[in-house]
Amino acid sequence: LIKRRLQMAQDFDEIMRLFSKSEDLLEMIRKGRAFTEELMCENERLRYRIVQIETEKIDLSDALGKEVDRLQVENVRMCQKLEFLDRRFKEVEAENKDFAQRYVEVEEHNESLANLYVASYRLHSTLDPVEVIECIKEVLINMVGSEEFSVFIVDDETNELMLAGYEGEIARRFEGRRVRFGEGIEGAVAESGKMLLPNGNDPSRDVCVCVPLRIKERVVGVIALYKLLPHKKRLTTLDFKLLELLAGHAATALVSSKLYAQTDRRLRTMEGVMSLLRER
Amino acid sequence: MTMKNVLVVDDSATFRQLLCMGLSRVEVTSHASITEATDGQDALSKVQSGHFDLVLTDIRMPRLDGLEFVRQVRDGLGNRELPIIIISTKGEETDIELGMRIGASGYLTKPISMGRLKELVMTFLGE
Repeated sequence: LIKRRLQMAQDFDEIMRLFSKSEDLLEMIRKGRAFTEELMCENERLRYRIVQIETEKIDLSDALGKEVDRLQVENVRMCQKLEFLDRRFKEVEAENKDFAQRYVEVEEHNESLANLYVASYRLHSTLDPVEVIECIKEVLINMVGSEEFSVFIVDDETNELMLAGYEGEIARRFEGRRVRFGEGIEGAVAESGKMLLPNGNDPSRDVCVCVPLRIKERVVGVIALYKLLPHKKRLTTLDFKLLELLAGHAATALVSSKLYAQTDRRLRTMEGVMSLLRER
Repeated sequence: MTMKNVLVVDDSATFRQLLCMGLSRVEVTSHASITEATDGQDALSKVQSGHFDLVLTDIRMPRLDGLEFVRQVRDGLGNRELPIIIISTKGEETDIELGMRIGASGYLTKPISMGRLKELVMTFLGE
């Protein structure tokens, strides 16, 4: 009996131990179930999210495709605009260069006009032939840049050139003598009434330019430039223009001053005669 | 902008008039008071008695030439600040060097280019 009771007690303990283990196992199974349920729930959520993302992806892909298309169109448009701007820039640059060139030309013309204005103003501001010659000399030195030159006037009675003013050694040879029409370069210019460049604007040789002083077709004098200033290499187009225009003004000023001097002389003679007559 | 005083020294009245016209076309001197002198001596007495912001002078002149005028302004009067620009028919390298060595602030050769004149004037009188 004792043995049986011991056996029963042992069995009871074993049963209790097994019961306890089964409780633990049951608890574990319960936890496992809860975890599995949680996992299934998460799985469900994730699957839903995947579907959502795939939908979004399709939407985004569509939007991206549209955006790429739009940007490509924009790119083509911008390329065209760039090409246009590039072309326009080149055109404007060319225009700018053209304007700059024109500005330089206008400045040169302004300079030339200022020179001519001053020269004509000075030439016509006096009625003294000596001052007119002096003024022509100043213009030739300061505005044209000539170092050696001569200014001849025509003697109406003999039709010869008389040296009225000069600068330098080359012109000195004409001092005290007259030049006939047709004689030498100066005489030839007086005869033809046309400007002459005997050495093709080469300042290293004698007579770089010879200009007639004309009033309409009548030659009243000649300007001959023999040498330019050392730093002036050659005469420019504007120099020739200035010389041409100067020649016209100088001719008028010379004739006016000569006429005034003659009239003044006659007036004085007449006044002298009148006073003599009055005395008698 | 204060009104500038410019002294133009040249025995040629034609060139003085041309310079005055040139200066009237430069912005800073368009309303400047321009005084004219016919030679170095005349210019020297004007520099002594008046105030000038700029002097433009020729070299070849009677009584006192331009170089001697510059020398007297720099050494005689001790005026080293006054800008003096020589404008001359003498345009060789040696002439320019001599002018600058004596004390000129700038050098231009005749016939003058208005553009160069403007540049030089602006250098000395530009604000």
